[in-house]
Amino acid sequence: MMSARVQRISTLFLLCFLALLPLVKPPVYFISFLFMIFLYIILAESWNLIGGFTGYLSFGHVAFFGIGTYTSAMLFQKLGLSPFIGAVPAGMVSAVVAGVIGYPCLRLRGPYFAVVTLCFAFIMDLIVKNWSFLGGSEGVHLKLVRMEIQSSRSIFYEVFLGLAVMAVLLVRWVQRSKFGAGLAAIHEDEDVAQTLCIHTAGLKLKAFVLSAFFPGVAGGIYAYYISYIHPDVVFDFNISILIVLMALFGGGSSWTGPLIGASLLSIVNELLSTFIKPEIARIIYGAMFIGVILFVPNGIVAFIRKRERVSS
Amino acid sequence: MFNPIVILQSIVSGILMGGIFALLGVGFSLSWGVMKVINIAHAAFGILAAYIAYWGLTLYGIDPILSLGLSLPLLFLTGLMIHRFLIQPITRAREIVVASMILTFGLAVVLENIMLFAWSADERLITTPYSSQSIFLGEIIVKISSLLGFVLSIFGIGAIYLFLYHTHTGKAVRATWQEPEGAALQGIDLERVSMIAFGLAIASAGAGGVAMAYMYSFNPPAHNFWLIFLFLVVIVGGVGSIFGSAIAGLLIGLITGVSGAFFPFQWINVLLFGLLMGILLVKPEGLFKR
Repeated sequence: MMSARVQRISTLFLLCFLALLPLVKPPVYFISFLFMIFLYIILAESWNLIGGFTGYLSFGHVAFFGIGTYTSAMLFQKLGLSPFIGAVPAGMVSAVVAGVIGYPCLRLRGPYFAVVTLCFAFIMDLIVKNWSFLGGSEGVHLKLVRMEIQSSRSIFYEVFLGLAVMAVLLVRWVQRSKFGAGLAAIHEDEDVAQTLCIHTAGLKLKAFVLSAFFPGVAGGIYAYYISYIHPDVVFDFNISILIVLMALFGGGSSWTGPLIGASLLSIVNELLSTFIKPEIARIIYGAMFIGVILFVPNGIVAFIRKRERVSS
Repeated sequence: MFNPIVILQSIVSGILMGGIFALLGVGFSLSWGVMKVINIAHAAFGILAAYIAYWGLTLYGIDPILSLGLSLPLLFLTGLMIHRFLIQPITRAREIVVASMILTFGLAVVLENIMLFAWSADERLITTPYSSQSIFLGEIIVKISSLLGFVLSIFGIGAIYLFLYHTHTGKAVRATWQEPEGAALQGIDLERVSMIAFGLAIASAGAGGVAMAYMYSFNPPAHNFWLIFLFLVVIVGGVGSIFGSAIAGLLIGLITGVSGAFFPFQWINVLLFGLLMGILLVKPEGLFKR
């Protein structure tokens, strides 16, 4: 393992490199690809607060992303609020919805919680599709200021880079705080945690609300990025599952897991969809889920650490 | 709107539909209850059987019911293999239910795309010579194909019931479900028993899929939609309960059918999901748990 200092310096270098990257005007494709990686890092890290730390697997996290998208799109459409200001209320709306949904649902454990969150995401999707105020199943077109693509993509890139760093730092902070210790206790054994005077219901709700905030903000900005919003895209059930897989693939018990999982799987996904026929790519994609559960059930971070311990 | 004929008609078709939901759900419930495996790929196996039946019919003119004679043993064997190579390695995982959900989601994606590869995304419909015929009960129309699907479901659920309650292996399955350690102490080979139960669950999904294909057109991604009903049947009926699944299936069919007469189609799903969420929150152990 690298020493802490080397690690810190190399991280700083990487961040500077990523932040300054748009200055050399790399291809738009490359910028967009990194943008998507940042998006998945934000989503997977946020998901990890509830799913990884407490073991409450939310299979409907895409709903918070979608709610964020629609909130900021509506704020723009009806009130003319600027993209980046609209993202904050978007995150707040997501967090409030998470609170309302989480309060009753977090009493359910294991598969029941997973199913109820899944249902919630489906209901949100269906409601948006059938509500003409939100554009219904035709989606929403945002009439944005025309801008040169290279610079507009670069702006979105920088914003998402910042957001991803914030999300990672937040999750890292939570993990090392007393709050995080409480969440870990819930993961280990909720009943025991309760008898130790840990207010499990409150902690879970707090984690759930927090885990909905960043996806909401990211969704709010993403709305302007794609500028045409359709429920099939922003409430896509596959995104929910992909977030879960990314976090679990990396390893859900620490903040590094989702970061690594989201980056690696995004790259793999991109390679698959660029070089291989779609059906076969999807088959490999499905096999990936099976492989992760069979061979790296505790995540790749734990897997590598174990290897290192064995070899040293 | 409140025409009694319309309501009666929707009740009848709802019940016919419900029987099929029950057959599809019973195996799902079994693997959830006995092995703690939530098999997201369950409905995909139903679609697979429907495609085998479709192939048998269009290529060789074999009646779908007869082709079950081939597809059911095949699915049973597939179930055994899946259990042996995919499920058994994770049975010792701490959170088997959750791990199984992700694993079988991957399996569903693989299956769906193999089927897309083999049969494309076109909507298929099983059309037998008798499927356009109907029986008239007064003014109520009962389609022969729906009736056949329903009868198939009754036979399927009956067979599973007989197996679980009147055969030695079946009793071992139930014992494993109630108390795995106690069952092991009685000399029951847990792995063998759950393997058989899983094979059976997959085979029942196949029968349910063919029954479903009699009523509705299908394509590979349709299993996602069927999955919703599986969850509904199991949550309403109580996990692992055969009797509960049967009643729940009928009930859900009835609700779907009757609400179809009053609500626009797209709101029915909202209603169903709302119902599912409501039941989960109020009574997660199901309405018919013994």
